[in-house]
Amino acid sequence: MKRLMPLLLSVSLALGGVTSAAAESTLEKIARTGTLTIGTRTGSPPFAYVNKQNDWVGFSIDLVEQLILPSVSKKVGKPVTLEKKESAPATRIPLLASNAVDLIAETMTDTRSRRDSVDFSLTFFVTGAQFLVKRGSPIKGIQSIKGKRVAAQQGATNAKIIRERVPTAQLREFPDQPTAFQALAQGQVDTYTNDGIQLAGLKAKAPNPRDWEVVGDFYSYEPYGMAMRKGDSDFRNAVNNGLMEGMDSGKFFEIYEKWFGPKGEVPYPMSPEAKKFLIYQAVPK
Amino acid sequence: MNYQFNWSVLWTGQTGQWLLQGISTTLEISVLAWLLAGFLGILSGAVRTARVRLLFALGTLYVEFFRNVPLLVWMFFWYFAVPPLLPSPVQDWLFAHGAEFWAAMLALGVYHGARFSEVIRSGIQSIPKTQVEAALSTGLTVTQSYRFIIIPIALRILIPPITNESLNLLKNSSVALTISVAELTFQTRQIETYTAKAFEALTAGTVLYLALCLSISAFMAMLENRCAIPGMIARANPAEH
Repeated sequence: MKRLMPLLLSVSLALGGVTSAAAESTLEKIARTGTLTIGTRTGSPPFAYVNKQNDWVGFSIDLVEQLILPSVSKKVGKPVTLEKKESAPATRIPLLASNAVDLIAETMTDTRSRRDSVDFSLTFFVTGAQFLVKRGSPIKGIQSIKGKRVAAQQGATNAKIIRERVPTAQLREFPDQPTAFQALAQGQVDTYTNDGIQLAGLKAKAPNPRDWEVVGDFYSYEPYGMAMRKGDSDFRNAVNNGLMEGMDSGKFFEIYEKWFGPKGEVPYPMSPEAKKFLIYQAVPK
Repeated sequence: MNYQFNWSVLWTGQTGQWLLQGISTTLEISVLAWLLAGFLGILSGAVRTARVRLLFALGTLYVEFFRNVPLLVWMFFWYFAVPPLLPSPVQDWLFAHGAEFWAAMLALGVYHGARFSEVIRSGIQSIPKTQVEAALSTGLTVTQSYRFIIIPIALRILIPPITNESLNLLKNSSVALTISVAELTFQTRQIETYTAKAFEALTAGTVLYLALCLSISAFMAMLENRCAIPGMIARANPAEH
C-alpha cells in the first residue's frame, strides 16, 4: 500500500489537472494557445475537402477563416491562427467533448437530439436528402427504392430516415463519401443517398459528371450548423457574430458565390427563400 | 469534461437489439474467418516445413504477400477489386446476397491465415530433432511419429500464440465496417447516430469486445491446462501434494 500511495497521488493529481483544464472556457483556451482548432472533413466537396492542388479548402473552412476567425480574434484581443483536424460523423462529438477541437465546421446537420450533447451556431446552409444514380436509373426518388441496395454515410441522418420510411430498402452504410461513391460506380449498390448538395459536389468531382444524376425531392430537411461544446455561450456568440457580420456585409454571400455560384466548384444557386432565411437569422447590432 | 452522460440510451429503444445483432455478425464473421485462417494456416505452415521446394516457395509467397499488406487494403481488395473479375450475373447475385460480408470474411481469413501459418510453422519447428529421432527409434514409422508424438506436442505449444492470433482476428473484424458490414463497432456508431451519445456507445462497444475476448482467453487457458502433459512444455502447475 505504501508503494501504491505515490501512484494514487499522481493519478489523482493528473485527474485534478484534467478537471481544471476542462473548466477553462473555449475563449480562454483560444486566448492562451492563440489557436482555434476546428474539426473538418477531407472528402466532402465543396464544404471541406482536399483539392487537386492538395490544399485543404471549402465553403465551411472559408466561413471560419474569413468570418469567424476575425470575430474570435477581436473577442480575445489578439491574433488567432487556425488549425484543422479531420473529423467524421462518429468522432465529431467526442472530439469536441475531449477538447481536441473547439468547433466542428463541415456538413453537420443541426438536430434536436444532437443539441442534447452540443450547441450549434446559426444555420449556414440549407439542404435536404436526395439520391445519386447512374444516368437512366429506374430510381427517381424515395418512392422507388423498395428492395434496392442503397448506400448511405455512417453516422448521417439520412440512413435513419430511410430505415423508418422504407424498411425494405437494403441499406449499406459506408464511413466516407469516396467509398460510398466507389460502391455506386461499381454496382455494389443501386444508389447513394446523402444531402443533395453533397451529391451535387460528388457529381461535379466525378471523372465524368455527365454519367451521374441527382434525383428525387428532398425527403429530409438538413440545416447545417457549426457545433461546439455545450454551455459556452460567450464562444457561441463570437462564432455567431462572425456569421451575422458576414451576412450583414454581404461577405457571406460572396463566399457562397465563390463555391456555389455559376463559376464555383458546384454551381448551386441560392433560392430566394433560403437567402431570406439566412438573413433573418442575423439579429440587429 | 463538459458532457452529460445518459447511460439509459444503451437499453432504451432498439439499442439492445442492435448491439445483439452486432455481436452476432462479429461472431459469425470471426468464426468463419477463423476456420478459413486455420485451414490456410495449417496448410501453408506445414508445407513451409516440408522439403519440397515448389510447395515451400508457394507457402512463402502466400505468407509474405498477405501478411505484409494492411488489412484495410485487403478489405477494399476483396470488396472492390475482386467482383469486377467475375462474370456479371455472378456479380449481381453476390451484390444482392451480402457481398460485403463475404468480402470481409475472405479478407480477414486470408490475412490471418498468413499469420497463423507462421505460428504453426514455428510450433512444428520448435520440436527438437532428437524427439523425432527418439520416436523413430522406438519403432514408430514417420507417419506414426508425426501422429502420436510431433503433432500432439506441437498443438499444445501452439495454444498461447493461437489464442493471441484468434483475439487479434476477432478485434480486426471491426475493420469490416469500412465496407459497410454491420458488425459490433458499426452498431455502436449507429447508436451514436441515433442518440448523439458517443461516449456511452463507445463504452458499450469496449465492454462487449472485452467480454468476448476474455471469454475466449479463459476458454483457451482452460484448454491449455486440461491438455498439459505433466512435466512438459505447458506451464507447470505448482506441486500441491
